[in-house]
Amino acid sequence: MFYSSFIITVKPLENRVKPIRDLVQIKKQLISVISLCKERGLVHSVKWASELAFALDPLPKDELPPSHLVSEEDVQDLDAFALAKSYFDLKEYDRAAYFLRGCHSKKAYFLYMYSRYLSGEKKKDDETVDSLGPLEKGQVRNEALRELRVELSKKHRAGELDGFTLYLYGVVLRKLDLLKEAVEVFVEATHTLPLHWGSWLELCNLVTNIEMLKSLSLPSCWIKDFFMAHIYTELQMIPGALQKYQSLIEAGFSKSTYIISQIAVAYHNIRDIDQALALFNELREQDPYRIENMDTFSNLLYVKSMKPELSYLAHNLVEIDKYRVETCCVIGNYYSLRSQHEKAALYFQRALKLNPRCLGAWTLMGHEYMEMKNTSAAIQAYRHAIEVNKRDYRAWYGLGQTYEILKMPFYCLYYYRKAHQLRPNDSRMLVALGECYEKLSQQVEAKKCYWRAFSVGDVEKMALLKLAKLQEQLTETDEAAQSYIIYIQEIFSCGEQLEHVEVSTALRYLGQYYFKNKLYDEASLCAQRCCDYNDAREEGKALLRQISQVRDQTETPSGELFVSLSDNNTPIKRVSPLNLSSFTP
Amino acid sequence: MASVHESLYFNPMMTNGVVHANVFGIKDWVTPYKISVLSLLYEMTTSKIALQEKRRLNKLILPLQQGPDLQLGQFLKTVEDCCPQTAFAVKIRLNEMADGELKDMEFFFTTLPNPTFDSEAYKTSVVGLFIRHMLLAYNKLSFSQVYKLYKSLQHYYHMGVPTFVADDSDMDLTSTEVTIGDKMERELDSPLTFCVRNEDPVSRGPLSQKQAEYFLAKQAYLLKNDDNKALRPAKLQEELNNMLKFNPDFAEAHYLNYLNSMRVQDIYISTHSLLHYFDRLILSGSEGKSNGDEGYGRSLRYAALNLASLHCRFGHYQLADLALQEAIRIAQESNDHVCLQHCLSWLYTLEQMKGSDSSVLTEDSVKMAAHFCLPYLASLGIQSLVQQGAVQGKSAHELMDALKDTDILHWKHSLSELIEISLAQTISIWRMYGKSTMAQQQAQLLLNMSSLEPVNFGVTQNNTEAFAVALCHLAELHAEQGLYGGTTEIFKHLKEQFPPHTQHAKLWMLCDLKIQFEKHMNDGKYHLAQPLVPAIRAQNKTEGLYRKAQVLKSLSRTTEAYRILQKLQVHCEKTRCTETIIRVLLSTAELHWESSDFSTGLPLLLQALTLSRKHHLQALASRTLLHLAFTQLMLGVPEQALSVLHEALEPILAHGGIMDKGRALMLAARCQMALVATRPNGREQAAVAIHTLDEAASYFSTLNCKERLRDVRYLQARLHSSLGQTAQRNRCAMLFHLLDRELQTPRAPTDMRL
Repeated sequence: MFYSSFIITVKPLENRVKPIRDLVQIKKQLISVISLCKERGLVHSVKWASELAFALDPLPKDELPPSHLVSEEDVQDLDAFALAKSYFDLKEYDRAAYFLRGCHSKKAYFLYMYSRYLSGEKKKDDETVDSLGPLEKGQVRNEALRELRVELSKKHRAGELDGFTLYLYGVVLRKLDLLKEAVEVFVEATHTLPLHWGSWLELCNLVTNIEMLKSLSLPSCWIKDFFMAHIYTELQMIPGALQKYQSLIEAGFSKSTYIISQIAVAYHNIRDIDQALALFNELREQDPYRIENMDTFSNLLYVKSMKPELSYLAHNLVEIDKYRVETCCVIGNYYSLRSQHEKAALYFQRALKLNPRCLGAWTLMGHEYMEMKNTSAAIQAYRHAIEVNKRDYRAWYGLGQTYEILKMPFYCLYYYRKAHQLRPNDSRMLVALGECYEKLSQQVEAKKCYWRAFSVGDVEKMALLKLAKLQEQLTETDEAAQSYIIYIQEIFSCGEQLEHVEVSTALRYLGQYYFKNKLYDEASLCAQRCCDYNDAREEGKALLRQISQVRDQTETPSGELFVSLSDNNTPIKRVSPLNLSSFTP
Repeated sequence: MASVHESLYFNPMMTNGVVHANVFGIKDWVTPYKISVLSLLYEMTTSKIALQEKRRLNKLILPLQQGPDLQLGQFLKTVEDCCPQTAFAVKIRLNEMADGELKDMEFFFTTLPNPTFDSEAYKTSVVGLFIRHMLLAYNKLSFSQVYKLYKSLQHYYHMGVPTFVADDSDMDLTSTEVTIGDKMERELDSPLTFCVRNEDPVSRGPLSQKQAEYFLAKQAYLLKNDDNKALRPAKLQEELNNMLKFNPDFAEAHYLNYLNSMRVQDIYISTHSLLHYFDRLILSGSEGKSNGDEGYGRSLRYAALNLASLHCRFGHYQLADLALQEAIRIAQESNDHVCLQHCLSWLYTLEQMKGSDSSVLTEDSVKMAAHFCLPYLASLGIQSLVQQGAVQGKSAHELMDALKDTDILHWKHSLSELIEISLAQTISIWRMYGKSTMAQQQAQLLLNMSSLEPVNFGVTQNNTEAFAVALCHLAELHAEQGLYGGTTEIFKHLKEQFPPHTQHAKLWMLCDLKIQFEKHMNDGKYHLAQPLVPAIRAQNKTEGLYRKAQVLKSLSRTTEAYRILQKLQVHCEKTRCTETIIRVLLSTAELHWESSDFSTGLPLLLQALTLSRKHHLQALASRTLLHLAFTQLMLGVPEQALSVLHEALEPILAHGGIMDKGRALMLAARCQMALVATRPNGREQAAVAIHTLDEAASYFSTLNCKERLRDVRYLQARLHSSLGQTAQRNRCAMLFHLLDRELQTPRAPTDMRL
C-alpha cells in the first residue's frame, strides 16, 4: 500500500492536543496529499490544498517529504496508468477506462472507476441537450452510476476501498439520492484519509442542520477545523464560523487566501459590509486574478453604490475570463447599478446558461425584472431560485415584494413569513411584514412586527419610526412619544448620519407632546432642535413662541434640571420623564 | 465553492430567461408506443382483413391513438382480441425493427403510407393527421435523437414481448365483442391501470404530456365527485411529486396537490401548493396574451379569491375575510365584474359561516349574477336565500317556488351539481316542516337520479355533500319508523362512501350518534346513552348540550338539567335556532311536570306552539300540542285535552315518528279513560280506549320500548277490570308482570309522563 506511510504520518498528529501548531507537519502532509490527488485527477482538492500550502512557509530542502513509495503493483501498472492519465486529462474518459480495466493497483482502480463515473456524467450532460421530449429531460441520468454502485459496494463490504475510492463511492451514492448511506461513506472516507478536502466538502453539502452535524463522529485532524468553519458558514452560524477562522489565522494560516475569502463571505452573510469590503480588497491585492467569490464582492459594492470600484472590477474580470458565472454576475450588477436593467438581466441570463443551478443569478435576475416592472418574469425567476434552493430567503422576500407591488398585501404575507422563518433575526422581513399588516389594518400585528424588528437589531432604523407613526395614528400618545425617544437615541448613538432619517418628525412630535403635557422645558428643547432641520424650522419656531407665551402667562420656571444639559449634543441625556424600561407595545 | 462535480449543462429550453416547456410547439413526440400504433395503421391499410375484424379494429384506433402509452404486451393483447392476424403482423414488424438495425426503423418511416386524398387514411382525417404529425415529429429529430429513439424502441420491444403470450387457441370469436368492450373500459376508465403500470419499477418513468394531463384531469374529477375512487392521498402525492420532479413547470400538478392536501386537511402544504400553482399560472397567462393584462391580472384576482376559500375551508374566517377583501379590491380596480360576483358570493357565504345575517348581500348577489348572466352564481345565491328563509320562517310556498325556479335554470344549463344540492335542500325543508313522506320521496328521487356529467370515470354515485345529506335524512326517517335494520344498511353504505377521514363524514357521524342516543333513550338505557353525549358534543355543541339535558332529566337530576336548558335557550335565541328553542321549551315543561307543577309549564308550551306555527314546523307543533293536551289532562280538564289532542292526532299519524304516534294514542286513551266516569256511555268509551291502547301497544312493540308497553298493559288491565272482563284483565296483568320482571326497574308513575 503505497500511501500507508502517509497515513502513519498523520496518526501521531491526531493524538496531540493542539496539532495545529505544528505547521511544518501540516505543510508536509499538504505536499504529499497534493501529489496524491494530482495523480488521481482530483483537481479541486489539489487546488484547495495547494492554496493552503502556499500560505505556509516553504520547507527547507531536507525537510521535504520523500516522494512516495512505489509498490509492486504500481510498477506493473505504470505504463497503462500513465497512458490512461493522459487520456483522462484530455477528457477522453472512456478511452482512459478502457486501458485501465486490467490494472490491479489501488491508484489505477480509482482512476478507472473515476473515469467511468465522469464519462457517465459527461454523457448525461450531452444527452440533456437533445432529449426526445420535454418530459424526458428529467429522466436523463448517469447510466454508469448503478453499475459503479454495485461494484463499489461489493468492494466496500470486503473492506477493500481506500480513502479515494470511498470518496467516489460516496459521490455515486449521493448522485443516486441515497443520502443517508452517502453520509456514512463520506464519514468513513474522512477517517481513512482525513486530508482529502473533497470528502469534507461533500459532507458539508449533505449536512442540513446542526443536530445532524453533532451526531457525526469525525476524525480529530487539523482539517476538521476548516470543515467546521465552512459548515458553520453554510448553516448561517456566522459567529461560530468567524471564531474558527480567527483561530486558524492565529495558528499560522494568516496568508491563506481561502480563509480570507471565507471570512469575507461570512461577513457578507451577516451584512457587515465594511468588514467584508476591506477583506475583499485585501484578497484582490493578494490574488488579483481570482474570479471565485467576486460576485459576492460585487454585491457588496452594489449595496454601497460604489460605481467606479464596481466598474473597475467588472472590466478587470472580463479581461481575465468573460465566460465565467461570476464574471457575468458582476457585469449584471454593474449594469443594474447603472440602471440599465435589460442589459443586467441579459448578463444574469448568460450566467444561468453557464450554470443553471447558480442560485444567486436567479434571484438577481428576479430583482432586475422587478426593476423593469416585468412582474411575471420576476415571479418566474424567483420561483426558479426557490426550486434550486428552498432556503433562499432572498427569493421568498423578492416574491413578497412582487406581490406587494401588485397591491396584494395579504397575498404577500405568506412569502414574507416564509422569508422571516428562514431568517428569524432579519429586521427587513419583519418591517415588510409590519407594513403589510398595517395595510391590512391589523395594527396589533403590525406593532408587534415593528417592535420585534427593532429588538433583533434594525439595520435601516425604520422600524421604530414606523411604530411611532402607527401609534400616533392610534392616538397612543405616550407610547408614540416613547418610540420617538428611542428612535432619536438610536439615530444619534449609531453615530453616522443616515440619509433617510426623520429626526425632525420625531422632534416635532415630541415637542408637541411635551407641550401638551405642560413640560415646557423639554418642549422648548425639542423645538430648538427642530430649528436645525429645514423642514421643521417653522414649526419649531412657532412652538417656541407658543411656549414663551404660555410661560409668560404662568411665570413658573421649572427648567433648572435641563439648563446644564442643553448644550449637550445628544438628546439622549435630555430625556425623559417616562420610564423607558416599562415600554412594551 | 460549488460542488466539485456540479455539471454545467446548457438548457436549450430557455430563452429570455423564461423556460418554455415546449420549444418547437410540438405536442406529440415519437415514442416507441406511437411507432407500434403506426405499424398497426400500416398493417391495416396494406393487408386484407375481414370486414368484421376491420370494423373492430377501426373502433380501436381512436382510443389507442389518444389514450396514454401502453406497454407492448397490453397493446398487442388489445389488438389481438380484435384480429389476431394483424397483431401477429404488427409484432413481426416491430421485431424486424427491434432486432434489426437502425435502417429498418428508418425504412419503416419512409414506407409509411403518405396520407393523400384517395388513400384510406384521408389527409385531414384523424388517422391522417396522426400519421402526418408523427412523420413531422420524426423528421425533426436530430441524428442522436433518432438513435435514442431506436434504442428505446428496442428496450420497449424486449420489455413487452416476454410478457406477451400468443395464445391463439383461446380465441373464441363469438365472445370477442364483449371482452373488447370490457377490456377497453377497464383500461381507459379504471384508475388501476396507472397504479399497476407505475408500480412496476422498471417501466416506471415520466409520463408524457398527454398522459400527465389525462391523469390529472381524471384524478381531479374523482376528487371532486368521488374521492374514494381516486388514488389514496399518500399515493397521489407520490405520483405528483414524481411528475413534478420530471417537469417542474407543470402547474396543474400543483393545483391537484393543493386539492389532495385539502383532502387530508393539511393547511401547510395546501397553501404552499396553491400559491405555487398561481405563481406558475401567472406566467403562462402572461405568455399567452400579448398585452399581458387580461390573462395575468385575472389569475391574480382568482389567486386571492382561492386563498380566501382555502382559509374559509379551514375555518380561519378572519384571514379569509382579509384575502377576500383583497380579491374584491383588485377586481374592482380592474372592473372585472365576473370575478366580483364570485367574490360577492363568497362574501355572503363567509358572513353566513360567521353566523351573521347576510340575506341583503345574498339578494344583491343574485340580482347582479342574473344581470351578468352567471346562472351558476345566481342559483347558488337563491339556494342560500332559501336556506336562510327556511330558518327565518318564510312561508313555504315562497321557498318552494324559488327552488322550482332555480331548478328550471339548472336543467336548462345542466348544472348537475346544483340539481343535487337543490334536491337535498328540498329534502331538508320537507323534513324541517315535518313532512316525512315528502322528504322520503325527494330523497329517493335524488338517490335514483343517474349522473348527468358528460364524462364520468365509472362513478355511479357521487360522494358529494348533497348525497351525504340525503342519506342521513333517509337514515333518520328510517329510525323514526323503527326500521333499524334499514338504518344500519344506510350507515354501512355511508361509511363506505364517506370514510371517516373525508370531508363530509361528520354529517353521518353526528346522525349516527343521534339515532343511537334516541334508541337508548327510548329503551330506557340511560347509562348507554350517557357516554354518547360527549361524542355528540364534539360534533355539535348545541346538540350535545341538549342531549346532556335530556339524559340528566331522565336520571332525575333536575336542577342540573334545568340550568343547562336555561343556558341553551339563551344561546339559541341568540343564534336564532328555532327548532332547538322549541325542543328546549318542551323539555323545560317536562321538567316542570316532574315536580307536578303543570301550570308553570303552560306558558312555555304556548310559546313553543306559537313559534312552531310561525315557522311552519308541523312535527314540532304537533308534539307541542301533545304536551299541551297532557298538561290539560293533568290539570283535570280531559275534555279540553281530548279536543286539543284531536287537532294533533291527524298530522302525527300521517307524518310523525312511530314513537310520537304511540305516545299520542296512549294519551288519547288516557283522556278517554278520564272521561269514562263523566260520560253516560262510559262502557263504550272504555272499550274505545282499550282499542286505542292496543294500537299504541303495537307501535311501542315495534320500537321494542318495553317501559311504555308496560304502562299500556297496566292501563289496559285497569280498563278491563273496570269493565269486569276478568279474563282479558288477567291476560294484561300477566303481560304487565312479565315486562315488569324483565325490566327490574321500578315503574315510574304513569301520570307523570307523556
